[in-house]
Amino acid sequence: MSTDQLRPMSPVQIAQTRDFIDGLEAGAATYWDMVKIGDELSRELTISAELVILYADGVEDFNPWYEGWRMNSWKIPGQSPFGGAIVPPLLVSHFVLSVQFDHTRPFAIGSIHTNHDSEILAPIPIGATVRITTRATDKYVKRERRYVRHSVTVEDVGNGTLYFRETRDILSL
Amino acid sequence: MDLKDLLVTRDTPVGYELQPLKKKAAIQLMGSRLWGRFNPNHWDTVYAGATGLKAPIQTGEMSSAYISEMCVNHFGEAMFTGARIVCKYIASTLANEVITTHGVVREKIPKGDGFRFIVDIWTDNEDGEKKTVGFVEVDVDVMGAHA
Repeated sequence: MSTDQLRPMSPVQIAQTRDFIDGLEAGAATYWDMVKIGDELSRELTISAELVILYADGVEDFNPWYEGWRMNSWKIPGQSPFGGAIVPPLLVSHFVLSVQFDHTRPFAIGSIHTNHDSEILAPIPIGATVRITTRATDKYVKRERRYVRHSVTVEDVGNGTLYFRETRDILSL
Repeated sequence: MDLKDLLVTRDTPVGYELQPLKKKAAIQLMGSRLWGRFNPNHWDTVYAGATGLKAPIQTGEMSSAYISEMCVNHFGEAMFTGARIVCKYIASTLANEVITTHGVVREKIPKGDGFRFIVDIWTDNEDGEKKTVGFVEVDVDVMGAHA
């Protein structure tokens, strides 16, 4: 296997890629060993129009309800059945990993997200600041594989609206 | 096709099939900063190979996003007010695979003035190998349930 096997790269790009990955690996640790049952982590995220565009473009979801930013106009109020532009239903679920993989700790190698059970309770308006809270509720071994379970809530920092709840498992080395 | 015709109504029968979406697991998107760049298993062939993977694997959340896009097409604003989506990633989505989303209405449970729809969902590749499986629950015509 080579770095440029699936996409064209010059020697400079290959060297930059290997340097980046070496940097990630240098401080890596195993997720299982980082987490204790009962660990609670929490961070605030302002869901800007630009962040939503980055998320939606990555999965090629071009629903106009999510457009609070448009080329040429830039910031726009947008339109959805709820008034202005809203956040895609599972966007906050993707950002949960940035909370549970505590950003103050080393890169967690070999971790794979295996499942989620998510409740989308209310639409999140673009521009909202939310608090994502994760709590480690279980660590278990199944078929010789190690899993860590978290429960998650996402609330509006300004008005307390509970937008989202989730239970999710991570497979760890 | 008029997208409004896709909307599920109280009269939509059990067994109704949602319109599928097709997406290619493009490595440039899998490795974008917002999606998978934090973990080289999602975009680097060499790193993925060293950890025993056949190829870089897509983050599971990308499959969940594909499924939720299909569900928004069919349930509209109801997907944002009291919906539930459960996904289990049973096989890895590999770089360059073409993924198709699927959904079939399994059950309609009377609720208030309307119904709680239960829809089996999954994704598969060109060979029909299932990658993500689960279900979605959405209220249809349940007035004021989430006011």
